Amino acid sequence: MAMELENYKVLKTTIQPGQRVVARQGSMLYYTGDVTFTPYSMSGGGMPGAGAIAGAAGRMMQGEHVGLMVAEGSGTVYFGRNGLYVQVIELDGTGALTVEAERLLAYEGNVQTSIVSLSSQGGVRGAVRGAVTGQGMFTTQVTGYGTVAVLSHGGTVSMTVGGAKPQVVVDPQAYVGHLGNITVDLSAQVGFRDVVGRGSGEAMQLKLSGQGTVWVQASEKKF
Amino acid sequence: MQGNRMLVAELANETIRAISGSMVAYDGAVTFKNAGVGGGDGFKAAFKRKMTGESLSLMDVTGSGTVYFAVDAQDITILELANDTLHVEASQLLALVGQLRTDVKFTGLRGATSGQGLFTTTVTGTGTIAVLSAGGPIIALEVAPQYPLVVDPDAFVAFHGQLNQTFVTDVTWRSAVGGGNGEAFSLRFDGQGIVYIQPEER
Repeated sequence: MAMELENYKVLKTTIQPGQRVVARQGSMLYYTGDVTFTPYSMSGGGMPGAGAIAGAAGRMMQGEHVGLMVAEGSGTVYFGRNGLYVQVIELDGTGALTVEAERLLAYEGNVQTSIVSLSSQGGVRGAVRGAVTGQGMFTTQVTGYGTVAVLSHGGTVSMTVGGAKPQVVVDPQAYVGHLGNITVDLSAQVGFRDVVGRGSGEAMQLKLSGQGTVWVQASEKKF
Repeated sequence: MQGNRMLVAELANETIRAISGSMVAYDGAVTFKNAGVGGGDGFKAAFKRKMTGESLSLMDVTGSGTVYFAVDAQDITILELANDTLHVEASQLLALVGQLRTDVKFTGLRGATSGQGLFTTTVTGTGTIAVLSAGGPIIALEVAPQYPLVVDPDAFVAFHGQLNQTFVTDVTWRSAVGGGNGEAFSLRFDGQGIVYIQPEER
């Protein structure tokens, strides 16, 4: 299977028999060949009818549960959404990509996704980060070997974390996702100037340290 | 990066002045501080801003490291000033480096109707300026004495050179009764210089 950019905003995937692409529902723009689309239930997602507890958990995870579909068959499918920029990220099986489910446009069928709680990543601080930055209490981890297409407003730049740059700081609104062994911590640099309204406007920051790559978008708007 | 929507500043114990809140990421040892009253131009400029509604909130970014700036996925253009003055809409200014000072200037009777106020921001001195353009890359239009230029006030970003700016109204009985073409107000430039516009109307 091949997943590449047709242009900055359109993703082109070539599917051969026996392969499948998981994509956000409604993101198909057009296709050629013999391709079928079926709804897809993400593991660990809503799980309808799986009991009261799972139902409650499903509701809590609502922000991270977006409708997905599977494209199978033989042909070429083009995906896009709301004119947002598409970033193609290759996973080589060694590290996990952490990204909000809302940003996932499509990924190869042999890539696994799971919803993880931010508090499992950074304890209470992680949960606070989710609440403060408006990202919710859950995020999505993508693992395995394959290609993932991620959406951003205005395109992204990737920054390497580790080595000469042990710590990278990102505006929470511009943060897209990260790959590798990275710890994310929310830091509130609220000083006297911010309290009296003379701050620099950069009071909330995400601090990333460890080893890996972080993607940042050219906008502080969430789509 | 696809296109030019992100400004990258490599700082080596230097300072760059940028619009507050425009930082999207950085590494290294960098601090962000409000540039103070009036965007660091003292009380006189601050007082003018209060009066004129030409709002400009700048921060000083100081230290060593790489800093990324971006605003709402707008395109970024770098302009060089050599002992010159650039007139720019405050909302379209992203960052300044070098010996530059900002001020507010009366621009004549425009904007009262276009909603941009009667004043514009000027940047004077020698240095580098990053300006924002919504809707796509900025468009530079040359003005010569024999070729005056008329632009939409909502698309105007900046100008420099020996230009005389006038506000043109085209109010006829048609526009008065609501049958206008939507282009009743425009900015006219006469002289010698360059006018920068953006592909999107504010």
